Amino acid sequence: MNFSNITFGQYIPRNSIIHKLDPRAKLLGLLILVSAVFTIKNFCAFALSVLALLCVIRASKIPAKSIVKSSRPLLFLIVFTFAFNMIALIFRYDFRSAFLQAIFTSSRLLVLMIYALLLPLTTTPLELADGICALMQPFRKFLPVNDISMMLGIALRFIPLLMQEADKIMKSQISRGAKLDQGNIFQRVRAFFPVLIPLFVIIFRRADEVAIAMEVRGYGNAKIRTRRKPLIWKFQDTFAIIICAILAGIFTLA
Amino acid sequence: MKKIILEARNVSFSYDYKYKNEKFARRALNRVSFSLCEGERLAILGHNGSGKSTLVKILGALIDAAEGEYIIDGKNILDWDLQEFRKTVGVVFQDPESQLIAALVEDDVAFSPENQGLDSREIQERVDMALEQVAMSHKRASPVSALSGGEKQRVAIAGALAAKVKILILDEATAMIDPDGRREIEKILRDLHKSGTSIIQVTHQIEPENFSDIDRVIILSNGEIIWESSTQDFFTNAANLGFEIPSDKPEFNTNRKTSNKNFFAIKNLSFKFENENVFALENVNLDIKSGLWLSIIGKTGSGKSTLIQHLNGLYKIQSGEIIHNGKNLPVKGSELQKLRQNVGLVFQNPESQIFAQTVHDEIAFAPMNAGYDSQELEQKIIHALRAVGLPDEFLERNPIMLSGGEKRLVAIASILSVEPECLILDEPLAGLDSVYQKRILNLLSNLRTAGHTIITVTHDLRMAAKYSDEIFDINSRVKS
Repeated sequence: MNFSNITFGQYIPRNSIIHKLDPRAKLLGLLILVSAVFTIKNFCAFALSVLALLCVIRASKIPAKSIVKSSRPLLFLIVFTFAFNMIALIFRYDFRSAFLQAIFTSSRLLVLMIYALLLPLTTTPLELADGICALMQPFRKFLPVNDISMMLGIALRFIPLLMQEADKIMKSQISRGAKLDQGNIFQRVRAFFPVLIPLFVIIFRRADEVAIAMEVRGYGNAKIRTRRKPLIWKFQDTFAIIICAILAGIFTLA
Repeated sequence: MKKIILEARNVSFSYDYKYKNEKFARRALNRVSFSLCEGERLAILGHNGSGKSTLVKILGALIDAAEGEYIIDGKNILDWDLQEFRKTVGVVFQDPESQLIAALVEDDVAFSPENQGLDSREIQERVDMALEQVAMSHKRASPVSALSGGEKQRVAIAGALAAKVKILILDEATAMIDPDGRREIEKILRDLHKSGTSIIQVTHQIEPENFSDIDRVIILSNGEIIWESSTQDFFTNAANLGFEIPSDKPEFNTNRKTSNKNFFAIKNLSFKFENENVFALENVNLDIKSGLWLSIIGKTGSGKSTLIQHLNGLYKIQSGEIIHNGKNLPVKGSELQKLRQNVGLVFQNPESQIFAQTVHDEIAFAPMNAGYDSQELEQKIIHALRAVGLPDEFLERNPIMLSGGEKRLVAIASILSVEPECLILDEPLAGLDSVYQKRILNLLSNLRTAGHTIITVTHDLRMAAKYSDEIFDINSRVKS
């Protein structure tokens, strides 16, 4: 039981084409690809989507090991999907076709999630927030778009830190004899209060400190906020979108 | 006479709503007046609860003084445009982790100039300059999570400098940093002072090596300024004012105990985290003697915490062994639970364990988990509370509302309540003022005299030398 080792979706700095793409291009491309993967019906198109995924991973220079490690927490979801499909299908078809269908559905989900995972691995939280902010500009009349994207960036930055805090709290309570992994579901939920309460206290205290630190650095009074690296849409971004669109077309039509 | 750049005139503040109507409401600050000249370096000293944090909030324009005036550059704070004020006064706080809001060093330093609405080239110039000033240019593209505490704090200072501030206020900025990191930050502050930045350093302790650079000292106590003088005057009077000047030469414990009985025998212990390539611990051999106080020292990230967390079975041993009572450490079941009762572990931040609504319930947690109830339980609770020197009426108090020092004592009591033979403490003095430091050190000394085995993990060499029987340096593997 060690939360602090979870590297789920943490940015990995590399000098790659994928890293250098505009976050807007990455977000749009991901949206196109993910919706296309959803529509995949046959094995050929699926194989192609896996091949395309491998190419993207290769181009991103992210070591395969990190991707395997980062996707480990997703395995639960995959296994769950598989089991659920199995149960739902086995009464309608024979075992073999139910099994194949369940495998297909869950592996499609896996591919989809790894595509999505590549986004935070190759994009810093701030870039991601900037990208989302830029894409949400049409809604700025109804929503505080800039604040939402800043919140998102900060949330992403602090997730690993809160994981560490949670890890320390669990160890502290286990050291005092807390039985976090024994008993029925109700006992387990009850046993988790000694972890949740300090976690909330620490999160609120930290939120307060972060807010103050941002205020003394002039956030909140700023009339216009500029960027050190303003987003610049380049030729390769258009190119990437075109590739994604072509791939999406193939997945859907094949 | 140099120009006065910052001045507080009779500044008062109270967190009590009724303050304006009642003359005798508790004031966090009471008629505080002082001034700072251009290019001067001022230290404001005070124990926990003296009103330091409130003063920093007023100086940083985060809250307004209830009474009195605060004047910067000849202009009252109420007449300043806040955005302009932020370009003049920068504040760096205690916990570097809460101040770095971007995931990469460069992005973080850029935050302030970005808020000023500068164009991207100018922002980059500011970032380069600020990183240069704190000697962090080589790590500009690193993720902040890969930095040490000292490096993080240097980035936080760069974040303030990037706004081109004239006055830098530091609120206990080195309290959470190890000695190496602290020295580097001190060097940066000296350079900044030399280049003309005005500095106010709010702290509970001045390191002796900085005396030469600090121009003036102000002492804050119960919200009032009780002393103001040159650093030299302070130096000669420090003891009378209730501040200890740590001596340059370490004092040694003259009353060292010895023992031949092993409490733990650690043999060739190695440990590697799942996602890392280097060993967190590599072939550690160490005998921990029964009834002695052992200090484990070493740099941040040298595996001190990982080592002690092995001793009560929080980590499964990967290779090597730990012998306790002639047997290998148990790995599961009731044997493991017993080990955890017998070897109590107190983590650095008491907030990572406090969850109950009363001190009573907080202390009761461990003995209840161990199966004690009714009269026996109550006895253990009261016994533990008295052992740490807190009065009985504390049992009904809410632990979250206690001061930092009191919280630490409650955390220790909550471990003592299952009567462990061995007590392990991770940085027991971190963030405490000298009053509580002394209290905790005396408590641990008494526990050792009573026969407990004490293990402390610390980067405070002075404490290790003065109080413990043995010292283990995890970097050099030397035990002395």
